[in-house]
Amino acid sequence: MSRIPAGMYIPGKSFLHRLDPLAKLIGLIILLAAVIAASSPGGYLLLILFIGVLLALSGLPFKLAIAPLRRTYLFFAVIFLMNALFFADVDPLWTWWIFSLSRTGLIQGANVVLRLAIIIVAGHILISTTSPMEITAAFRRLLKPLQYINIPVDIVALIVSVAIHFIPVLAEEVEMIRKAQTVRGARFDSARLRDRAASLLPLVIPVFVNAFKRADELALAMEARGYRGEGRRVSGPEIAFQARDFGAVLIMAAICAVQILVL
Amino acid sequence: MTIVKRSMITAVCVALTVVLPMAFHAVPNAGSVILPMHIPVLLCGLICGWPFGLACGLIGPLLSNLFTGMPPMAALPAMLVELAVYGLMAGLLMSCVRTRKVYADLYISLLVAMLAGRIVAGMARALIFAAGSYSMAAWTTSYFVTSLPGIAIQIVLLPSIVFALERARLIPARYPKEIVLDGSPGLDSSE
Repeated sequence: MSRIPAGMYIPGKSFLHRLDPLAKLIGLIILLAAVIAASSPGGYLLLILFIGVLLALSGLPFKLAIAPLRRTYLFFAVIFLMNALFFADVDPLWTWWIFSLSRTGLIQGANVVLRLAIIIVAGHILISTTSPMEITAAFRRLLKPLQYINIPVDIVALIVSVAIHFIPVLAEEVEMIRKAQTVRGARFDSARLRDRAASLLPLVIPVFVNAFKRADELALAMEARGYRGEGRRVSGPEIAFQARDFGAVLIMAAICAVQILVL
Repeated sequence: MTIVKRSMITAVCVALTVVLPMAFHAVPNAGSVILPMHIPVLLCGLICGWPFGLACGLIGPLLSNLFTGMPPMAALPAMLVELAVYGLMAGLLMSCVRTRKVYADLYISLLVAMLAGRIVAGMARALIFAAGSYSMAAWTTSYFVTSLPGIAIQIVLLPSIVFALERARLIPARYPKEIVLDGSPGLDSSE
């Protein structure tokens, strides 16, 4: 838990760092569409090459960029095996008891794992090259049209921003409470599923109480400084899209179009 | 509760929809069995009301997908619908149901919200996300049989969390006790 990549912004001056956060957010959304549309080896190759280009443009070390994948390799293995061994096919390659290894299952497993891995790395690159404040501002700008139908965009952006800040803090707190409960005899590493599930229950109530304490303190501090959650907030000068931002979004849209129409 | 406090509680609940599934990763297949993401969303709806519960149900899975890749992209739309309905219904029912008994209010709101979320998510899968390939058996298995431990945990845990928060004075009491002082009119303990 303490090594989670969540909210880990790495300051830098690379092309991706300087790109408008809104362009990056729109780009990620388009990339997700391209990933969902991918189904052929050529399609996946194009996406992997593009992720490689993004990585080069971000200036992030390769090891750091794929860190979330190294932490979830077991999960990927389970997903792949579940698809490979349980996919119903008329012509299995190998069968034993309830397991049935099939070519379609292997392809399906590879599809799911590749899609997930590409999405995780792309999201990690965005978070590593964009500060939480920039992500919040980008969210606010992305949601701006919703204010015309009376959706309080500022409050939604505030919630997203505070939530992003709280993720690493609460993750550390969960780890601390987990250690405290282990000292008191909780069996998080028991071989029995029932014991492990039961041991997690005393973890949840203190986590919620501590999280609500933090929310209470933050709300008091904000109200003491005059914030009432209404009216327009001043959040620095409005950022305008530059040519490179339009270029980045257009490239993403082109990749998505190629993925859907050609590959 | 002020709008600022509701917003902050919603923010921590959104953060917990990302953090709790990570804490439960020691349990195999925890996402679909223990349903850790449902707990903060239902709690947010019960405490902050339907607009905040709805926001928590929509933002939580999106942020979790962005930060941890979970829930996977293929399951995200149905999960968004399910959690949004949980938050919305829990909040709506908590504001409509007033039996003068906190336990009854909580359990009625909780159980109806849990059922409504499952029905709407099942309908969304059957009609939109997996049209033609989704059966009643698949719905019953995934939403009631596989997730039975999670349902039990929610029913036991959520009212306990609400009472723990009330006891810690982190949320206002739903039915504040009246204190009568020597013939003077009853005073609200929250004042």
